[in-house]
Amino acid sequence: MEWEYFFIDLAQYTLEGVLKGLLYAVVAIAFIVVYRSGRILNLAQGEILVFMAYVIWTFFSLTVFPFWIALLLSFGAAVLLGLIIERFIFRPLIGQPIWAIIMVSIGLMILIQGIVQVGWGGIERPFPQIFPEAPVRIGELIFTSSIFWGGIIALAIVAGLTFVFNRTRWGLKLTAVAEEHQVAQAMGISVKKSIAVAWIIGCALSTFAAIVFLNGQTLTFAAAVIGLHALPVVLLAGLESISGAVVAGIIVGVGESWAAAYLDPYTEGAMSQAFPYVLMLIVLLFRPQGLFGWKIIERV
Amino acid sequence: MALLPCGIHYETYEGDMAYIHTRAQWVCFILFLLVLMFLPYILSVRFIAMVNMAAMICIAVVGLQITTGYAGLINLGQSAFMGMGAFVCGSLAVNFNLPFWITIPAGGLGGAILGAIFGIPALRIKGFYLAMTTIAAQVIFPLIIMHMPDNWFGGAIGLSIEPAHLAGITFDSDTSLYYLIIITAVIMIFFAFNLVRGRTGRAFVAIRDNDIAAEIMGVNLFFYKTLAFAIGAMYAGVAGGLWAYYLRFVGADQFTLYFSVWYMGMLIVGGLGSILGAIMGVIFIRFLLELITYLAPVLVEYFPGVGGGIWFAGMNILLGGTIIIFLIYEPRGLYHRWRIGKTAFRIWPFPHM
Repeated sequence: MEWEYFFIDLAQYTLEGVLKGLLYAVVAIAFIVVYRSGRILNLAQGEILVFMAYVIWTFFSLTVFPFWIALLLSFGAAVLLGLIIERFIFRPLIGQPIWAIIMVSIGLMILIQGIVQVGWGGIERPFPQIFPEAPVRIGELIFTSSIFWGGIIALAIVAGLTFVFNRTRWGLKLTAVAEEHQVAQAMGISVKKSIAVAWIIGCALSTFAAIVFLNGQTLTFAAAVIGLHALPVVLLAGLESISGAVVAGIIVGVGESWAAAYLDPYTEGAMSQAFPYVLMLIVLLFRPQGLFGWKIIERV
Repeated sequence: MALLPCGIHYETYEGDMAYIHTRAQWVCFILFLLVLMFLPYILSVRFIAMVNMAAMICIAVVGLQITTGYAGLINLGQSAFMGMGAFVCGSLAVNFNLPFWITIPAGGLGGAILGAIFGIPALRIKGFYLAMTTIAAQVIFPLIIMHMPDNWFGGAIGLSIEPAHLAGITFDSDTSLYYLIIITAVIMIFFAFNLVRGRTGRAFVAIRDNDIAAEIMGVNLFFYKTLAFAIGAMYAGVAGGLWAYYLRFVGADQFTLYFSVWYMGMLIVGGLGSILGAIMGVIFIRFLLELITYLAPVLVEYFPGVGGGIWFAGMNILLGGTIIIFLIYEPRGLYHRWRIGKTAFRIWPFPHM
């Protein structure tokens, strides 16, 4: 009898973990796509997500736009944001060492934080209900609709992006830029254009992630933490692997959920919070390129 | 090497490496130290409080300069290392009643150990990946502090600390703490200046420029990378110890990633790869912050329609904007501009070197 309950609980925790993992994967993919198409490490991912969430809230709360137009406008704003970030911040930095890119993304992180505080006053906002409120039922299992549909759309996006990046000429150009700016430029690939594309896709994916993550919830700046939570997923997957993000997301999500269920009672809730980062440290120590990343051989 | 004043030349390397070359420079240096010692008699308490804050942050940022600017290891966990120092120092002071001249170095040691632990992965990984391990340190640190037994580090509440004592003096006012902080800062900065021009500093620079080449030339990568983290974190730990005695309260929420990012911002503004640059960056950013703190109430008066919070939120825009502008237009920081100005002054009226 006891074992039966144990397995039911385990299944429940695992399922919750998988769904949470898909959510992480959505944010992680935005990060990986920006890296994969322009060799740009964007630590400001969570902040961009929150910024776009506030933009979405603005379009939906104006009420003059019908639902679909508001949604479309939000994605239009994402494209615009991507272009602005590329033009004014990352284009002048083409060819700079990697630490400059990391630092400028940190600067961007703080800048967006300030802009959100000034623009929207940092007050709590109700995020619009974009996916239906009623949960999705399949047989005995119940899913939150945003995560269920978000997960399905995310899988479709992953399949599409993996195809584009590995099989089409256009995606391979972006990949070449991710590998080395100077070489790509010498081969006649426009690094500027690639980085613009990277940011447009990255911002659009952040908008999508904001919708999945915040659907029908309260929006505060604290939501930016999701950007930090997605980093272990990114590193576990490897910076270059889009499809790997889903696997890594599920590993992290399930691990976190198990840690919350079985270890937290002994550690007062610390283990589930620390787990993704401890996993990240272990991955970095033993397999720095992650599960599916490129192994880069360095030469003097 | 910077350009030497006219007529100064050396026949030994020791002479070439000296920071102070002429008698006039010695006079200026000693005058500067004297002014530092008598500052509380010149400035009001309000300004001394500002200087105290800047001096403590200065120690942490100089440490960051050694790890990031000299050894080239990106460190986004400086605030956690500072926190470690503050908690070790606070815990020893509260639980064992030890005097500050034991607890502050112990805080430094605590920071160094934590820094070394999170610096170990630096042997295999670099750049972005390394930044990630230090972010992990930043996330894991408050969890460790909060879940240790309550009497160790105060748990979720934090630690309240008695003021420091020495020979009948109680360090409980801004003026008395000024001496404690500024003397520690001068000692730490003196040590930093000498560290970076010695064997260790040269090894750090070699690692920064190309770690594989450095290893081939006989630099022990594991030892020096871990050492760079340990020394940088030790500075943070000492700053944390002073912080504990200054605020007389230590809580895990005082040492978040946000502050690490601020320290990194100060470093970029000042310029990577020089101790003086780190100090300049701290002074510049702290000055901007104090200016906003001072101007915000005035601006609220003139524009009553705009909420007061907005001016303070402007700090983030200012810092983020400053970091981005410096990275794009002057990635070598204020120190580089200072050196250009100094050289131009020395070779005047000739326009070129």
